[in-house]
Amino acid sequence: MTPKRRRLTMVGLGLLMIAAATALALNAFEDTLVFFYSPTDLIDTKTNPKKQIRVGGLVEEKSLLKSNDGLSVSFTITDLDNSLPVIFKGALPDLFREGQGVVAEGYLVGGLFQAKHVLAKHDENYMPKEVADSLKKSGKWKGGNKQ
Amino acid sequence: MHRFANPARFMRIAEPILPWTSVGALAAILLALYFGIFDSPADYQQGETVRIMYVHVPAAWMALFAYTLMALASGSFLIWKHPLADLSAQAAAPIGAGFTAIALVTGALWGQPMWGTWWVWDARLTSVLILFFLYLGYMALVNGFDDPERGSRMGAILALVGFINVPIIKFSVDWWNTLHQPASISRLDAPAIDTSMLIPLLLMAIGFKLFFISILILRIKIQLLKKRIRSIQLTH
Amino acid sequence: MDTVMAIIRRDLSLVMRQGSDAFVVLIFFIVTVTLFPLGVSPDPLILQNLASGIVWVGALLAAMLSLDRLFQTDYDDGSLELLVLSPYPLEIVVLCKCFVHWLTTGLPIMVISPVLALMLNIKTGAFLYLITSMALGTPIISLLGAVGAALVLGSRRSGVLIALLIIPLTIPILLFGVGAIQAATEGYNASSPLMFLGALLLFSIALCPWVIASSLRQVVS
Repeated sequence: MTPKRRRLTMVGLGLLMIAAATALALNAFEDTLVFFYSPTDLIDTKTNPKKQIRVGGLVEEKSLLKSNDGLSVSFTITDLDNSLPVIFKGALPDLFREGQGVVAEGYLVGGLFQAKHVLAKHDENYMPKEVADSLKKSGKWKGGNKQ
Repeated sequence: MHRFANPARFMRIAEPILPWTSVGALAAILLALYFGIFDSPADYQQGETVRIMYVHVPAAWMALFAYTLMALASGSFLIWKHPLADLSAQAAAPIGAGFTAIALVTGALWGQPMWGTWWVWDARLTSVLILFFLYLGYMALVNGFDDPERGSRMGAILALVGFINVPIIKFSVDWWNTLHQPASISRLDAPAIDTSMLIPLLLMAIGFKLFFISILILRIKIQLLKKRIRSIQLTH
Repeated sequence: MDTVMAIIRRDLSLVMRQGSDAFVVLIFFIVTVTLFPLGVSPDPLILQNLASGIVWVGALLAAMLSLDRLFQTDYDDGSLELLVLSPYPLEIVVLCKCFVHWLTTGLPIMVISPVLALMLNIKTGAFLYLITSMALGTPIISLLGAVGAALVLGSRRSGVLIALLIIPLTIPILLFGVGAIQAATEGYNASSPLMFLGALLLFSIALCPWVIASSLRQVVS
């Protein structure tokens, strides 16, 4: 092989490998490196009740209930297709409210999620309260949460 | 591009700009602080805590901007051997590292009240932490050689290799489920942020950018003067 | 092809004659992993949860140890200059060197890792994924590490510098490697982290030799 042809083969091989790598990565992209699972993800997979996992979604409207002793709360996390009941004992973050995004960390035992920590996820919308109210009134509200 | 590569010509242009950018930076940052603290509304969800955004977001933008500039300068240094490109890459690194640190710290301060945690290992936070390590690694590598020329070349290659992290940071919030929210400003439709809050945010971004330019010019100037001193010492 | 074999044979025999290098890496790997049950907790359940992470972190750190020698000896005795100036493509030469580094560090680490994982009480079902993720991941460490080794060539304290530069870049390997093992033990689909590792490996084979070769050319010129 002449040096020039050898160089061309090398470049060709390299590009081929990069193309294959991109295809592999795109193929694998869907379900890796998730910080949390959605309730729908958890339906099909069997989970270990002793293993800590994270579940994320929106807090379902009117699902937040406080226990009689006021120490623990229960609510439902939904991804608008499926939902998962959660119980939690402890202090909720400031941003926790119904209709807002949330990530709960804990154990899934028999269809009930026992949260050890609850993290609030906020959305990318920033506006003063009056604007939010008037947007909702005029029906132009596009935000993911309807509180 | 090539015309500015001459150090003497660069200084002739940069020297008169410097006072303007320094004063502009100071004015824009003070104005942004005023609007951000006193003359902007509380967020409908986050309340007063949203004001951390006016520092956090521009700092994070600058962290990415400084690295991009560093990679571009490194590339042109390797291709055209412009000494000035190398100087600007080296001058940009510590400023970028500083902005990254600010973004990380303000992010933690913002995360604690809002998310309920200082830090999580999601894709966005982790990739920004890696960016910080890359800045530190670059500075260590550039200064790790007895021959400064060698350090410049090796640092330039590292800066280019590390650039792969920049798009990962940018798109991490779209590609993966992260606790960090997606971008508000660079959306294709209207920005998801109210005008009254956009003003301090953009003012601070302008202020940071002018501050970056001022420090960059100063640092390049110092390096050029150092070089001249060294060459004078050698000839005498 | 003959040239490729000649370079591999030369580097292999160099490593074999010095002998101790590969051995030291292995001992280091075993010792670091042994520290965890003693330092964290000997509780088998806790260790089981941590096993994949401990083994992978240990492997990463151990593989860093022998990296600074990768080009250093050739650089000191001047043979690196000959390799750079030879008409044979430097990228291929560099790829051979990475392969030899993998043979003498990555491969032994991969072979010993199931034994260490066993001591950490890892689930038996995870062995296949541990070995597969190691097989895909350790060559990437060698390739990325070689980039670091080429960059720090001739600097002061090159060993520490390599670790400082390369460890942040290896974080994705760690994430996907541990991710695959944990997904397998939890009963999730482990194929996508493995596919990611495969993609990273192909990327590194295509790009790293090119980066290494250009920094070596900078060194010699």
